[in-house]
Amino acid sequence: MTHDETVIVPYLRGELGPDETRAVAAHLAECAACRRVADDFGALLETLAVAPTAPAPDWGRYRVELRARLEQRTGRVTRARRWAPAPLVLSGALAVVLLVLALGVDPRPPRVADLGAVEEAVIGERLDLLREYAVVERLDLLEDLDVIRDLDRLEPVREG
Amino acid sequence: MAGRDEAAFDVLVSRWQERAYRIAWSILRDADDARDVSQEAFLRVYEHADRFEGRARFSTWFYRIVVNLCLDHRRRHGWWRRMVHALDGVDARDSALDRQPAPGPAVDDLAAGRQTMRQLGREVARLSPQQRAAVMLQVEGLPTAEIASVMECAEATVRVHLHRALAALRKSMGSG
Repeated sequence: MTHDETVIVPYLRGELGPDETRAVAAHLAECAACRRVADDFGALLETLAVAPTAPAPDWGRYRVELRARLEQRTGRVTRARRWAPAPLVLSGALAVVLLVLALGVDPRPPRVADLGAVEEAVIGERLDLLREYAVVERLDLLEDLDVIRDLDRLEPVREG
Repeated sequence: MAGRDEAAFDVLVSRWQERAYRIAWSILRDADDARDVSQEAFLRVYEHADRFEGRARFSTWFYRIVVNLCLDHRRRHGWWRRMVHALDGVDARDSALDRQPAPGPAVDDLAAGRQTMRQLGREVARLSPQQRAAVMLQVEGLPTAEIASVMECAEATVRVHLHRALAALRKSMGSG
């Protein structure tokens, strides 16, 4: 093998065929310069594999933005049941709100500013509440966006 | 997907958002650009799902969209960013992280390791977009053949990109 250093990376990655692998290995055994290159390339590949990667974005906001862009691109409103980043959690939380309102257990009115606020508030703050309601796990996760947006116009439940 | 199934698209986004963002950030080295481009990649998938004929792996097709969008973005905006940053006295090739004050002298192996990682990150940012794309795709575990398919070039070209990238890193890190 001549000093074709472009085969070193595929050799290190195990991508060469048997004959080519043997040829490269034989050359590296004899050529100190290429052996140093191979050693350094191997170290770099290992370091790159564990190097810090991208700072994680706010995935909730990422999905909200993506949803908005898709709605703008397609010119139609997407259904919330297919778009909630955690559809079961979100719709389950909203179902709990509706449930407790219907039962008159908790008269607290739901606060809905926009979808992003709903997701961050509900998902972030009410997950612990959801864990206490096994029934929520079996509720249909398909809540319409219209329901979410109109929660503040639901009829209040009279106590007593 | 070809039937515009939004539920399926939601699952797809959930599964691929981190990889898409990571690849985009690795090439663009900017969080806002990475978010914008990776989101655009998902929109392209949604709009052109019917073009995926299943002859290649979905990952190859998707990564190709992400990489091409990144390279296009660099071509369209790179000169502007460099000019703006030049006026600000900032090297446009550096990310916000790279512009943090350099750490002090390393006092132990851990500090030296962090400094090495930081330096490596700066040097990777100085690679050409094609070299950076090839390096990051191989970090993602893609074999050379698939990298070639993603980058729509010959395997020999990928080998050259990888070799030149590692040779440049080797030299700048002080080994070569």
